[in-house]
Amino acid sequence: MKKLLVAAITIAGLAAPALSGAQELPRRLGGENGPRKAAEAARPAPKLADGTVDLSGIWTGGGDAPIPRLLKKGELDTLLLPWAKQKMASIKEADDPYFYCMPGGPLRITGGFAWRLVQPAGERSKYIFMLQEGNAHSFRQIFMDGRKHPDDPSPTWFGHSIGHWEGPTLVIDTIGLNDRFWLDSAGTPHTEKLHLIERFTRTDYNTLQRVVTIDDPGTFTKPFDITYTAKLGTPDSEILEYFCIENNQWGDRTNPDQLAPSVPIAK
Amino acid sequence: MNMKAGVAAVGLAMASLAIPVSAHHSWTAEYDAKKPVTVKGVVSKVEWTNPHTHFYVDATDANGKVTTWNFEMASTPALERGGWSRKTLPIGTEVTVEGFAGSNVAERAIVTSFKGPDGKEFFVPKLGN
Repeated sequence: MKKLLVAAITIAGLAAPALSGAQELPRRLGGENGPRKAAEAARPAPKLADGTVDLSGIWTGGGDAPIPRLLKKGELDTLLLPWAKQKMASIKEADDPYFYCMPGGPLRITGGFAWRLVQPAGERSKYIFMLQEGNAHSFRQIFMDGRKHPDDPSPTWFGHSIGHWEGPTLVIDTIGLNDRFWLDSAGTPHTEKLHLIERFTRTDYNTLQRVVTIDDPGTFTKPFDITYTAKLGTPDSEILEYFCIENNQWGDRTNPDQLAPSVPIAK
Repeated sequence: MNMKAGVAAVGLAMASLAIPVSAHHSWTAEYDAKKPVTVKGVVSKVEWTNPHTHFYVDATDANGKVTTWNFEMASTPALERGGWSRKTLPIGTEVTVEGFAGSNVAERAIVTSFKGPDGKEFFVPKLGN
């Protein structure tokens, strides 16, 4: 413990000089910003004028933990169909499409970076958007106007998402996903039959709980639930710009046969 | 007010929000934790880019041979949140860099510590696991 404390204070010492030259920084911070006061954490989730719970804000996490780690030990093995178990055993971390800057799909859009949930009020509430700072610098569009899924959507990276409210919980139903992304960094596979039901509940001011039902009869023996937790960023924080494709040197070192695209960088 | 304690508290907050380099991927896939390196040289190019920033450092040995090191650092959002900008280390700055050599190409290394000409340390986000 003592060693840890010493290490933390050393880092603190390094960080302090950089801060002094960046007065505007706090306003630009995205993501979790150190310990919060207990009183603040205990505040209830805010509401919009019409009484709807307000989930909008900058969040960190909430979709990036490897699925095997969210289940009991060995549980995933009992859920995977034989082909999926075999595939998962054969993959290498370096093959993750995410490292080649491809979109991470509906779960990983919240992983590793700050992200913003946009929940407009009034007439505009027909949509909710999830904006991702990192990786593909992309977004999810959730239709809140009562429409149904199309009968046979062409599969895409984020699929077709429709949402509705069940009391304080936002329920998002997604189909039409392609099978080109990994569900998580562990390489949990899926097929185009994947159907996600996500339940977002702001359990206190700073915490967004996300319970996801993963239903894919092409990959798993039965549907199962996993629970993620996102934490609120600092007040007035912002997402910043991050395009992974800009200067990705990943393939250069791990797989010479699969070089990442090379983009000239202006001086 | 205990000034030292105040500075430490601010710094701790900064340290805890640092998004690790591994936000994009695990650093040990590309770099060798058993090959620590220390390089003294001059910044010759800065790529203020994502998924990660790259600082190129020219080091000259006793025989006058110049080796260009490609040092990888965190993403621009992670560095900006740590107080950096693309101008923090201008080309020509004398630096001492510590890190780990690349698994395939040693001179492609990852940074754990950056010191300026006066020995001043710059904030470097912690490496993930």
